Amino acid sequence: MWLVVAAFCAYALGYRFYSKFVSAKVLALDAQRATPAERLEDGRDFVPTNKWVVFGHHFAAIAGPGPLVGPVLAAQFGYLPGTLWILAGAVFGGCVQDFVILLFSVRRDGRSLTEMAREEIGIVGGFVAYAAVISIIVILLGAGALIVVNALKSSPWGVFTIAMTIPIALLMGFYLRHLRPGKVLEISFLGFILVMLAIWGGQWVSQTPTVAPWFTLTAPALAIVIIIYGFAASALPVWLLLAPRDYLSTFVKLGTIGLLALGIIVMRPTLHMPPLTRFVDGSGPIFAGKIFPFAFITIACGAISGFHSLISSGTTPKLIRREPETRMVGYGAMMAESMVAIMATIACCVLQPGVYFAINSPAGIVGQLPESAAATISSWGFPVTAAGMHALAQAVGEQTLFNRTGGAPAFAVGMAHIFSSSLGGQAVMAIWYHFAIMFEALFILTVLDAGTRVGRFMVQDALGHIWKPLGRTSWYPSILATSALIVAAWGSFLWQGVKDPLGGINSLWPLFGICNQLLATVALCVATTIIVKMGKARFSPVTLVPLIWLVAVTFTASWHKIFDPSPRIGFLAHARQLASSATPTHEISRLILNDRLDAAVAGVLVCMVALILLESISVWASVVSGRMQARVREAPFVPTRFAAEEQG
Amino acid sequence: MSSSTVKPGSNAKPTAECCSAGRTRVSAFMWFAGSIRLFLSTLREIFDESAYARFLARHSISSCPNAYAAFLCEHGAAKARRPKCC
Repeated sequence: MWLVVAAFCAYALGYRFYSKFVSAKVLALDAQRATPAERLEDGRDFVPTNKWVVFGHHFAAIAGPGPLVGPVLAAQFGYLPGTLWILAGAVFGGCVQDFVILLFSVRRDGRSLTEMAREEIGIVGGFVAYAAVISIIVILLGAGALIVVNALKSSPWGVFTIAMTIPIALLMGFYLRHLRPGKVLEISFLGFILVMLAIWGGQWVSQTPTVAPWFTLTAPALAIVIIIYGFAASALPVWLLLAPRDYLSTFVKLGTIGLLALGIIVMRPTLHMPPLTRFVDGSGPIFAGKIFPFAFITIACGAISGFHSLISSGTTPKLIRREPETRMVGYGAMMAESMVAIMATIACCVLQPGVYFAINSPAGIVGQLPESAAATISSWGFPVTAAGMHALAQAVGEQTLFNRTGGAPAFAVGMAHIFSSSLGGQAVMAIWYHFAIMFEALFILTVLDAGTRVGRFMVQDALGHIWKPLGRTSWYPSILATSALIVAAWGSFLWQGVKDPLGGINSLWPLFGICNQLLATVALCVATTIIVKMGKARFSPVTLVPLIWLVAVTFTASWHKIFDPSPRIGFLAHARQLASSATPTHEISRLILNDRLDAAVAGVLVCMVALILLESISVWASVVSGRMQARVREAPFVPTRFAAEEQG
Repeated sequence: MSSSTVKPGSNAKPTAECCSAGRTRVSAFMWFAGSIRLFLSTLREIFDESAYARFLARHSISSCPNAYAAFLCEHGAAKARRPKCC
C-alpha cells in the first residue's frame, strides 16, 4: 500500500508543480487561443470535447499491454529499480513528452509526429520518424504475439477462451451493423458477458479429455494460428472483426484496470520480492544485462513511451477544446498509465520470488524438468519446490507454470492471487487466472489486429508513390500483398522467438524497448527543436534532459545487444557461439541468421536516430547562434469564442 | 426564507440547518448526477456512440442499418489507421 501512496504523492507533486511550470514558463499555454477542434470543427475529426471525456479517450488509447508486461519482466532486479524508474521516468520524461507533443500538435492543426518532424527538423527527421514507426510496429507485434503464444501454449482453457472471442466479436459486428445500429456500449456489455461465459466454459473444456486435446496447442502451432489470424484480421472489413474486438478489448481493459486498482487498495497485499535481487549484476534469468541500461528499456510504456507521441499527435489534439486542457489530458493521462505500471509491479511482486522466477525463467536457463528448475532457482536464494509449483498450477487450472516466459502468466498469477484473497478464495483462483490471461491476450491480439492494419496502410502509402494502384486501400491485390508483407515481417520475429531456446523474450523485448525509446528520442528531438525555435532555449532542458537520458540508454543498450561479448546479451556473440559449438544444421543456421538480423535491425535504427539527432543539433545551433531565423510553423492565432462564452 | 428574517423566539436555527443540509444534499446529488453523466459521455466517446450521433446529426438522418453502414465506411477508414498503443 505504501508503494501506491508514494506513487500518488510523486504524481501529485509532479502535476501540481512541474507540469504547472512547464505549462506556464515553457509552453505558455494560451486560454485565449482557439484550438483546431474549434476552428476546424466539422463534427467528424475536429470536435471540441469536454476535457474529462478527452482524458478518458486519450487514456483508453495509450493504455496497452506494455505497462503490464515491462514492469513484470524488470522485477527480476527487485521491485525498487523498476518502481523508481516508473515514477521518475513518468514525471520528468513520459508525461512531459506526451504533454508537449500534444500541445505542439494542437498548435499545428493536429499534425502527426512525422509531419512535425519533417516541418520543424527536416526531411531526414520525417523519414526517420516514419521508419521508426514502422519498425516499432513490426517488433511490437512480434513481441506481443510471442507473449500470447507463451501464455497460451499447452493451455486448452486459455486457447478456448481466446478462440471464443473471435465468434463473439463477429457476433458483435453483426449486431451493430444489422440489429441495433450504433449501440456499442450495450453490445460491448453483452460481449463481455459472453466472454465471461467462455472463461467458465474453458474450465469444462480443459477438464474434458475428449475436447481438451483440440485446444492443447504447442508454441509453433499457436504461432502459425496467430500469423494466419493476423493476416485475416488485416484483410477483413473493419466493421466485421477489428472494430468490435477493439470495443470488447477496451471494455475489458478499463474494467480490469479499475478492478485491479480496487483490489490493491482494498487488499493491501504484501510484497514478497526484495527491493533488489542478486540479478542487478546482469546475470538475470529472464533477460540478461545490468540495470543500466536494460531496466530502462524493459519498462517503456509505464515511464516513457515513444508510441504515446503517435497518439498525442493523432486523434486527441483534434478533440481538445481549450489549450490549457492539454496539461490535464497529456500530462495527466500518462500519470494514470504510469499508475497502471505500478499496479503491475505490485501484482507480480506479491508472488514469492521463487514462484516468480519459476514462471518467468526459460527452460534454456533453469532446465526442462520441474525438479531441476526448482533446484536451480532455489540455489539462487529463492526457494521453490516442484510440488509447490505443481499445486499452484493445479489451483489455476494449468498443467504447469514452469517456463511461462513473457510476463503475462506471472502477472495473471499475481492478479489471481490478489483477487482470490478477496473474492471467492482459492476455489475461484483458476477463474481469476484465466480472466487475467484472457484480458492480456485479448489486449495484445487487438493491438495485433490494429497494428497489422496500420502497418499495411503505411506500406501502401509509401508504395503508392512508386505505383499508384498499390496505394489504393480498397484494391484487394494491394491489400493482400501489403498485409502479407507486414504479417511476414512480425511473423518472422515471432517464429524466431518461438524457436529460441532462451524463450525469445530475452532478445525480442529489449529490441522492442530499444525501438520504443528510440521513437521517444525522435519525439523529444522534435519537442526540443520547437522549444528552441520558440526562443525559449533556456527552458530546453525540460525535454533535452530526458532526451539525453534516452540517448544514453538506447545507444548503450543497442551497443550491448549488438556487440556485447556475452552470448546471453550480444546478438553477434550468440551467433558466434552457435557457429562454433554445434555442427551446422538448418536450424542452427537459421538461429545464426536471426541473431544477425536482430543486430542489423538494432544497428540501423540507432544510425537513423543518430541522423535525426545530428540534424536536430544542427538546427538548435543555427537558431541559438542566430544563423537561422527562429520560426515555428504554428497555425495563426485566432481568439477562442469559448472564453467569451464562459465569461458571459 | 433567510435566517435573518425569522422572528425571535421561533425555531430559526433548526430551519437554517435544515435548509443548509437540504442544499448540501441537493448539491451532492447534482454533483453525483453530473459525474455519472460525464462518465457516460466519456464511455460514449470512447465507444464511438458520440461519433455516430454526430454523424447522424451532420447528415440529418435517423439511425438505421444503412446509416450505420455509411458511418462505418467513413469512420472505419479513420479508425483503421489509428495505431493501438503498446
